[in-house]
Amino acid sequence: MKFFRIMLTCVSVSLALGGCATFSQDGGFDGVKKTSAEHIKQEIVWSKTEAEQKAVADRVAELLKTPLNADSAVQLALLNNKDLQASFYQLGISEADVVQAGRLPNPKFSMLYARNDGDYKIEQALTFNIFSLVTMPKMLEIERSNFEKTKRSVALDVLNLAHETRLAYFNAVAANERLSYSEQVKESAEASAELANRMVKAGNWNALEQATEQSFYAEAIVEYANSKNQQTSAHEALSRLLALPLDQLVLEKRLPDLPQTIDELHAYEKTAFEQRLDLQAMRLETQALAKQLGLTKTTRFINVLEIGPARVLEGRRGDPYKKGVDISFELPLFDWGSAKVAKAEATYMQAVNRTAQLAINAQSEIREAYSRYQTNYEVAKHYRDEIVPLRKKVLQENQLRYNGMLISPFELFANARAQVASVNSYIATLNEFWLAETALQMSLIGSASKEGK
Amino acid sequence: MNDFLSRRNFFKLAGAGIAASTVSKVAMAALPEIVSAESANTQTPLHPDTGRPYNPVVTLNGWSLPWRMNNGVKEFHLVAEPVVREIAPGMKAHLWGYNGQSPGPTIEVVEGDKVRIFVTNRLPEVTSVHWHGQPVPNGMDGVSGLTQPAIAPGKTFVYEFEAKRAGSFMYHPHADEMTQMAMGLMGSWVTHPKNPKFMPVDRDFIFLLNAYDIDPGSYTPKINTMLDFNLWTWNSRAFPGIDPLVVRKNDRVRIRVGNLTMTNHPIHLHGHEFQVTGTDGGWVPPTARWPEVTTDIGVGQMRAIEFVANNPGDWAFHCHKSHHTMNAMGHQVPTLLGVQQGDLVDKISNLVPDYMAMGETGMAEMSDMAAMMPMPLPENTLPMMTGKGQFGDVNMGGMFSTLKVREGLAKGDYKDPGHYQFPKGTLAYEFVGDAPEPPRQSATDEKAAVEVQVRKPTGHAGH
Repeated sequence: MKFFRIMLTCVSVSLALGGCATFSQDGGFDGVKKTSAEHIKQEIVWSKTEAEQKAVADRVAELLKTPLNADSAVQLALLNNKDLQASFYQLGISEADVVQAGRLPNPKFSMLYARNDGDYKIEQALTFNIFSLVTMPKMLEIERSNFEKTKRSVALDVLNLAHETRLAYFNAVAANERLSYSEQVKESAEASAELANRMVKAGNWNALEQATEQSFYAEAIVEYANSKNQQTSAHEALSRLLALPLDQLVLEKRLPDLPQTIDELHAYEKTAFEQRLDLQAMRLETQALAKQLGLTKTTRFINVLEIGPARVLEGRRGDPYKKGVDISFELPLFDWGSAKVAKAEATYMQAVNRTAQLAINAQSEIREAYSRYQTNYEVAKHYRDEIVPLRKKVLQENQLRYNGMLISPFELFANARAQVASVNSYIATLNEFWLAETALQMSLIGSASKEGK
Repeated sequence: MNDFLSRRNFFKLAGAGIAASTVSKVAMAALPEIVSAESANTQTPLHPDTGRPYNPVVTLNGWSLPWRMNNGVKEFHLVAEPVVREIAPGMKAHLWGYNGQSPGPTIEVVEGDKVRIFVTNRLPEVTSVHWHGQPVPNGMDGVSGLTQPAIAPGKTFVYEFEAKRAGSFMYHPHADEMTQMAMGLMGSWVTHPKNPKFMPVDRDFIFLLNAYDIDPGSYTPKINTMLDFNLWTWNSRAFPGIDPLVVRKNDRVRIRVGNLTMTNHPIHLHGHEFQVTGTDGGWVPPTARWPEVTTDIGVGQMRAIEFVANNPGDWAFHCHKSHHTMNAMGHQVPTLLGVQQGDLVDKISNLVPDYMAMGETGMAEMSDMAAMMPMPLPENTLPMMTGKGQFGDVNMGGMFSTLKVREGLAKGDYKDPGHYQFPKGTLAYEFVGDAPEPPRQSATDEKAAVEVQVRKPTGHAGH
């Protein structure tokens, strides 16, 4: 039948042009895995089946057996974070778009039926949008490009989560350390306040001296309360990223030590442009938009070109149907497509400029991140090698002076508090260094998230 | 104290040092050789081998400067220079002194002696020497700018005068004296009477009172301190670094004390009454003397006290300002008397690991604790109170020494005779049994007598 022969021709032409798009085995996940593996050593799992979910739960339980370090915390987040699983499904959505783009539009059947006092007019047409045969290969290419972009952006989600988890982890450990120090300060301030009370009771001190000493204790309480609150916030932030309740989290006692040395800036600048996933994604998007622009240009006059067999009956019901072909297409009488082209052009140029700016930002972000990293390294090192030992030395020397009854015990306590403050500052700067290090690594992959900045 | 009264130990620096570089060899040959001391111990008295005879003094933790006779003139050579003085075992001070020590050597001459003193300046700044209390020609009085040009570093000046009046004197700079005296630049001077039989004594001691402010852990005095010194010294020595004054029972003893600090010192002797027999102004007529056990020595004054040491024993001899018999202490340390601390130590040692509770029962426990456990002090620092006697801690420092009166010592024997052996029945003893209740003023006031009632201000009504 001629009608079906035409349809068949259409389909075969379309297959020849675009190739048939089908769903892949991994749904694009292998690509994401490969990309993220280039940057972090942790594994990612898209747990869709119950068996996979069970395996993940086992792995999570395994990881929770020992106190978490930064790496195991990241691994936990990658396994357990639900937002990340949601991101993985974005792959499915995007791949479905690819497959969709590779499929022919459904044929359309139209019918006109009119009757007047025994006279009939019946028109039947089975039409098919043959213009989509022209656009399909381009659409498919665009969607494939989009799919690639999605893979990059899902990989970026993975790395972003790893990044945020590292930040949250360091914050939580630092908060623990600070809390334990401020607890010590509070306790001994309490003891010295009590000593001050006893001084007054014994008649050795006046209210002014007592109040002065009491005020240290009063401030120590506030400091402790703030540290406690900060510790809770820091832990909750980590808990959210790991999607695990606080009581299951046991962290290592101390932040990792400062590394012996740090790398030079150019080591980071060199690799940056090959690695930045956001740049890669943006380039892919720009490419897709370029194709989109090309497509829009070729299709500017025609939106729909439909063709298909038609048969017409006119006159009496028993008359034979006239057979023919129904062709319809949109007349570009009012819309010559120039607006569409302008929009596509503008969209494309927007993307081009955004990509350029992103590249400029990327360079700057890396330099900024490096500066923060390097400065915090120097500052933390200075605290570790200079300020803390000096404070310690001052305390030791004052201990000797206290032994010789050369200074008051309260002076000694004040000194001890200053020593603790210097240790706290060191922890803060060490924390800053690890945050900066994490941010620097992230700046090589994509624009760092706001958290932890 | 083993080397107490070690043999006079000089090392001679003839023609050496800075003086050689600034004074020609010929000129140096004309100078008496420079004699220097390296020990801070009391040296045996210097008996005169030339010149007029006299009974020499014993300089407490010091020595007397040898001289040479030159055509009937006694020539001495003083060198002002930086020195390291041991304040007491365990502490050394970077001071300025003369001929290796601070204070410098005692200069002993005889009434009527013609004296020529060469003064070489090896200090980094100008100096001069004022012969405190002596009648000298105005141009020999040593006030730089006023009566002479200052002696520049490296230069040697000559002072010539006649020791007109017998008595006890001092010498010290009168150029930037605030710095130079705070740094310990000073010495004693004795002009013995022409007649050795005039007011003779068996033992004649001399020393200067001086004070330093040396921060614990440092070596150089803070020269800007005016009154709040932390080291109160006799001849730049603090207890237990001050040698005892050893005398034979029934010896007539003279002690000459000069005060170059910035406050007065009531010097108190136990077990004996003395009379002030001399000042730097001259001898006190016997009719004007009165008995004392303490004499207050004002700033810039010199006192000679005399007594017969008729009471054997180890008698304390000290400044009566109680802080002056202490070494470095924190004047801002609050009183911790009666404040229980033991139960707080654990909490406190979270932050201050080596913290120990102190002062609850008084300061003496410091000596106990120092003895019980190693309680390190800052380097180059003396404990605030220290010293051991035969019955335990003496808990002293600063201007404290002992007068040791013993029977049967040889003339001229100043060796420490050790602890006093108390004759039976002469030592305070512990009462065993129930102590009788001490009588109180009134039964109704009993509570008030035991407890201190502190009335707290309740308002401004009484104002």
